[in-house]
Amino acid sequence: MSAQAGTGTYSPAVAAGDKRRERKEELRRHLVEDADWPRADGRSFHDCRPAFMQTGPTTAASGSAYAEFGKTKVIVSVFGPRESKKAMMYSDIGRLNCNVSYTTFATPVRGQGADNKEYSSMLYKALEGAVMLHTFPKTTVDVFALVLESGGSDLPIIISCASLALADAGIMMYDLVTSVSVSCFGKNIIIDPTSDEEAWQDGSLVVAFMPARKEITQLTLTGEWSDGRITNAVELCMDACSKLGDILRDHLKDTATLTSE
Amino acid sequence: MAAEAKPAAASGVAGEMEVEAYRRLFPVAFLERHLGESVRIDARRLREARPTTIALGAVSSAHGSALVRLGDTAMLASVKLEVMSPPAEHPDEGSVAVEFHMPPICSPLVRPGRSAEVAPVISKALEDVLMSSGMLNLKDLCLITGKASWLAYLDIYCLNADGSLFDAALISAVAAFTHLEIPLVSVGDDGRLFTVGGNDGKNKFELVNREKRKLTLCDIPLSLTCALHKDSILADPTSEEESIIETYVTVVVDSSDRLVSLQKVGGAVTSMATIKECISLAKERRQSLREILIDSVKAMEVDQTE
Repeated sequence: MSAQAGTGTYSPAVAAGDKRRERKEELRRHLVEDADWPRADGRSFHDCRPAFMQTGPTTAASGSAYAEFGKTKVIVSVFGPRESKKAMMYSDIGRLNCNVSYTTFATPVRGQGADNKEYSSMLYKALEGAVMLHTFPKTTVDVFALVLESGGSDLPIIISCASLALADAGIMMYDLVTSVSVSCFGKNIIIDPTSDEEAWQDGSLVVAFMPARKEITQLTLTGEWSDGRITNAVELCMDACSKLGDILRDHLKDTATLTSE
Repeated sequence: MAAEAKPAAASGVAGEMEVEAYRRLFPVAFLERHLGESVRIDARRLREARPTTIALGAVSSAHGSALVRLGDTAMLASVKLEVMSPPAEHPDEGSVAVEFHMPPICSPLVRPGRSAEVAPVISKALEDVLMSSGMLNLKDLCLITGKASWLAYLDIYCLNADGSLFDAALISAVAAFTHLEIPLVSVGDDGRLFTVGGNDGKNKFELVNREKRKLTLCDIPLSLTCALHKDSILADPTSEEESIIETYVTVVVDSSDRLVSLQKVGGAVTSMATIKECISLAKERRQSLREILIDSVKAMEVDQTE
């Protein structure tokens, strides 16, 4: 043992790699059989994870929201409208500034998660169309998200959580923005994928949607898709988004009646 | 104006607005009017710390974790263990890497891309206190002498900054180490160490560390920060109080009430008597925090058996 250990390199990641390969094999097997296999967490293909959302975890912010979907946990804080720090040209509309970051323990192996640097701009693009920028001219509203734990479908959860935080901060919006993603496996579409499912998907679709106005603010499609299934998947996402929208709306109403009482 | 502020509070929304304005425009006068009545802005007594809660096991991907709330201040601490070669000068010891983060969500003063000024200061102070207090026996983190030991990454995230950040961070660090459970490891054919899944270890692997699954924490350091304003001592200040008052004393004591660290950085001159009073307050606080910590361990055990 000690002779072999003499190389001086130790890595705990070997076993983890084996486990991932096993899981991949299992998923591939299911694909060939093409049956409605039960997902690892017992959901069927078109079941979302239970959504837990709460407003006001961060009292230092103007508005904030916490979202927990299965293992994915996100906090979003909204600051402002406040003075813009960047030297800017005069503008009669406000500026929306978004930033998404991950904790070092968000992913199973410390500091080895994907950077997801693009999430900041994707969050901005998803919210931009819903926020009434002209209601806070010359100032900035900052939307900061921190992913405490990443368990799949991170971006859609960040987007939904951010729109709840914006509402909590009293920023004027045309509508809430909710977002849901689906993964495509061969002929099957599964909704609200976990990180394991995302790792082996053939394609993915993220839809950000304004439920009351029935308008899509952002749609991202990657991987292999055929025409018919895209339409199907988009409709599925939109339906899930409306339902998530109802949950957000109910939550906002509940907290509003609680505070007014 | 000062005379009007008080009765105005009782008369509806307009009155409240005036108090809010007074609070923002004359923060020092606002604070002093409260202190004159021996009460804090948030209705606490002068030497009273805020209610504190500890929840163990808040991060599922970590080996040990804790969420601590000190009033509105919230800290999330996680300990993750990685196998590495032990430091050459101490072949039978593991090591600890401490990092304190202030993400932009926690306070309006922090912007992305620039770390908060206080974050590295607190990070260093935490590391000093944890390592010098003798709470951790680094030999407990050794796996095979000279070959392999644990490197414990302690990451503390401030989720909401409302004053006394060091105190909250230290409680969360202590709680995360209390919760820490060391994973089982085994040596593979290629001489590499890997962690063994499952808790009972009833598998084909030869385990390196069947014992030593929990760290024995010897002297647990706990702290209290006091803000000094003229003759008053304000224990456990909020961020509002911290923004007005310049003088702080942070006292860290261990389980046997010995002094681990004492800091008074800048601010007005202070008498020895005041410092002594801060120390005795810290000792009292240490006792109540200890009880909260023990309760949180019990609460977690109840959760697990259910």
